[in-house]
Amino acid sequence: MASFGTLSRFSMVALVAGVVLTGCARSRPVIAPEAPIRVEEDRRALPETPTEVQPEVPMRPATYPEHGVAAGELPADLEELNRAGFLKDVFFETDKHDLTEEARNALAANAAWLRTHPTIRILVEGHCDERNTSEYNMALGWRRANAVRAYLVSLGISANRIETLSFGKERPFVLGNNEWAWSQNRRGHFRIVGR
Amino acid sequence: MRRLPLPFAVLTLTLASFSSHLSAQEEVYLQVTTPGLRKVVIAVPALSQRPGTDAHAASVYLSTLRRNLEQTTVIVPLDREREALVEVDAAGPELTRQRWRAAGAQFLMDGTIATVGSQVVTEIRIWDLASQEVAYSRRFQGTVDLVTTMAHTLANEIVTLFTGRPGPFLSRIAFISDRTGHKELWVMRWDGSDQQQLTSHGSITLAPTWSPDGQWLAFTSFLSGRPQLYILRPTEGYLRPLSTMSGVNTSASFSPDGQQVAFAAGPDGRTNIYVVPAAGGEPVQLTYSRAIETQPAFSPSGRQIVFTSTATGRPRLHIMDAEGTNSRPLTLEDTFADEAAWAPDGVRLAYTTRSEGRFQIATLDLRTSVRTVISGPGNNESPAWSPDGTMLVFQSNRTGKHQIYMTDADGRPRQLTTEGNNIQPSWVVRVQ
Repeated sequence: MASFGTLSRFSMVALVAGVVLTGCARSRPVIAPEAPIRVEEDRRALPETPTEVQPEVPMRPATYPEHGVAAGELPADLEELNRAGFLKDVFFETDKHDLTEEARNALAANAAWLRTHPTIRILVEGHCDERNTSEYNMALGWRRANAVRAYLVSLGISANRIETLSFGKERPFVLGNNEWAWSQNRRGHFRIVGR
Repeated sequence: MRRLPLPFAVLTLTLASFSSHLSAQEEVYLQVTTPGLRKVVIAVPALSQRPGTDAHAASVYLSTLRRNLEQTTVIVPLDREREALVEVDAAGPELTRQRWRAAGAQFLMDGTIATVGSQVVTEIRIWDLASQEVAYSRRFQGTVDLVTTMAHTLANEIVTLFTGRPGPFLSRIAFISDRTGHKELWVMRWDGSDQQQLTSHGSITLAPTWSPDGQWLAFTSFLSGRPQLYILRPTEGYLRPLSTMSGVNTSASFSPDGQQVAFAAGPDGRTNIYVVPAAGGEPVQLTYSRAIETQPAFSPSGRQIVFTSTATGRPRLHIMDAEGTNSRPLTLEDTFADEAAWAPDGVRLAYTTRSEGRFQIATLDLRTSVRTVISGPGNNESPAWSPDGTMLVFQSNRTGKHQIYMTDADGRPRQLTTEGNNIQPSWVVRVQ
C-alpha cells in the first residue's frame, strides 16, 4: 500500500511537470478538453449545514371533553355574567396578531373555564390602537380575533362556540394617544353571548 | 360643449411651500394652478332685468355666480372697481365690449334675467373680447327657489368651458361624523355647507364611497352587530345589504361603470379583495394572499385595481388587473402606504403614508413614479380627489379632533367641518 502511494504521488508530479513543459513549448496556451469528473461521496466528511434536531413535542395528559358545571350556577343575566369577568382579555403588540406568552396563558385559563362551562358561547372582539388607518385596523382586528379563536380551538374548545368580530380602532377602551392607551386598546376582548 | 383652446386649460399639479402659522414646521401645500399662468379674467356685470323681474332673485343669482368663480383655480371675475370704470353704451354694444376689454377683461358675460310667475329664465352669452365672438350662449329656466342651483349650474358650465373639466359647484362630499355620539354617514356641499345626516344606525358606520354617477353610496355599517357592506340610494333613502359575508366588509370602491363594487373581506381572520355586483349577488374573490389586503380602488379605466397589501411585510400599495391577476407592489419607497385614491386622469394616486410617526398625504405619478409627500400639521389621512382632479379633500387632526379639509384654489387647506370628529370623505360631481 505504502509503495503504491509513493508511486502515484511520483507520477502526479511527473504529469504536472509535463503539462507545464508542453505549455511552454507551444506559442500559445491550449486548454485540453476536460475529462469527465467522477465525484465519489466521501462518507467521512460532514455536511456544511447541520441538521437541526428538534426537541420532541411534549405530550400532555388528555383534557376532559367539555363538561362540568351547569350554566345554572352562573348569573342568569348576560350583562351580569360579563361583568363577573370570568374570561380575561388578551393584549397584543403593536401591529401584531401573534399571541404573546402572557396572552396564551390567559387563553389557557379562559379555555379551562370554557371547558367546565360547555354551554357558554362567546364572542371574541379584535381591537386596535389608533396608529393605523381605519380600514387597515379593521383587517388587523379581524386577524387578532381569529388568532384568539384559533388558539382556543387548539386548546379543545369547539369552534362553533366562538364567534369573532373586528372593531378595528372604532371602539377604543381607553381614549388618549400615549403608549399606555395604545397598549390597552390592542386587545382581544371576550363577551359571553349565550349560556 | 366647445372647449376653448386656452393655455389655462392645462392644469398641472405642482407644489409650493408656504410658511404655516399653524406650526413652526414648513407645510407643503398642494397647488393645482401652474405658477406664472394668469387666471382668465371674465367680466360679470349685472344681467339686464326684464320688466317685473324679482330683483332679489337676480341679486342672489349674480352674487352666487361671482362667489363661485372666485373659488376656481382658472377664472377670476373682473373686480368691482374696474367694472365701475366701464361706461355701458346701450346704442353701441361693440364699443361697450371694447371698453370691457380695455378695463382688463378677456371675456364678458352678458345677458338677461326675467322672472315670470314662479319661473326664472336667464339668457347667457359669453363673449371672447379679443375676437369679439360669442364663445358660449345658453338659456336656463327654473323655479325661483332654485336660483342658487341655476347660478351653480352656470358656474359649472363656465369652468367646463375654460378647462374641459366638470365644475365643483353642485358636488357633494359624503363623510363619517360622530357628532351625534355615533359614527354615522353624512353629506355636505363641497364648501362645507348643507351638512345632512343620512344614517341613524346608532352603531358604527365607516368608509363611504360614491358611485361615479352620484346615484349610490356604498359603506360599512355595524347595523346588524357585525360589519357588513350596504348600498344606499341617498335621494330615496333606500338601503340594502351588499355583502354580509364573513370578515370586515370594508373599503368599497365602485367600478367606473358603477356595475361592480370591490371591497375587502374574508373568513377566519383573512382579509382579501372581493368584488360584488352593485345590483346584488355573490361576491367573487380576487386575491388569495395570506397577507392583509384591503382598500381596493378601481382605476378610472376600470382595467386595474390599486389596493393595500402587507405581502412585502408592511402595508404598501399594490396594483393588479381588475380580474385579480398580475398583482405587484407599486411603491416600495413607503414604509406605510394605504388608502389610495385614483385621480380622474388615471395617472395620479393620492394616498396616506407615514412620515416621522405621523400620517401624511402623498401623491404618486404613475407615469414618472414621482412620489410627493404633502406634509401638514398633525395626522393627515384618507384623501379623495375632487371630481375634476384639481383638489383633494382629506381628514386631519391638526386642531385636535379629526376634521375634513379641502385644498382650496391656492392649495391651502380649508376646514369644512367643525362639530365632533369628521373623517373619510368621498367626493362626487353631482347627486342624481
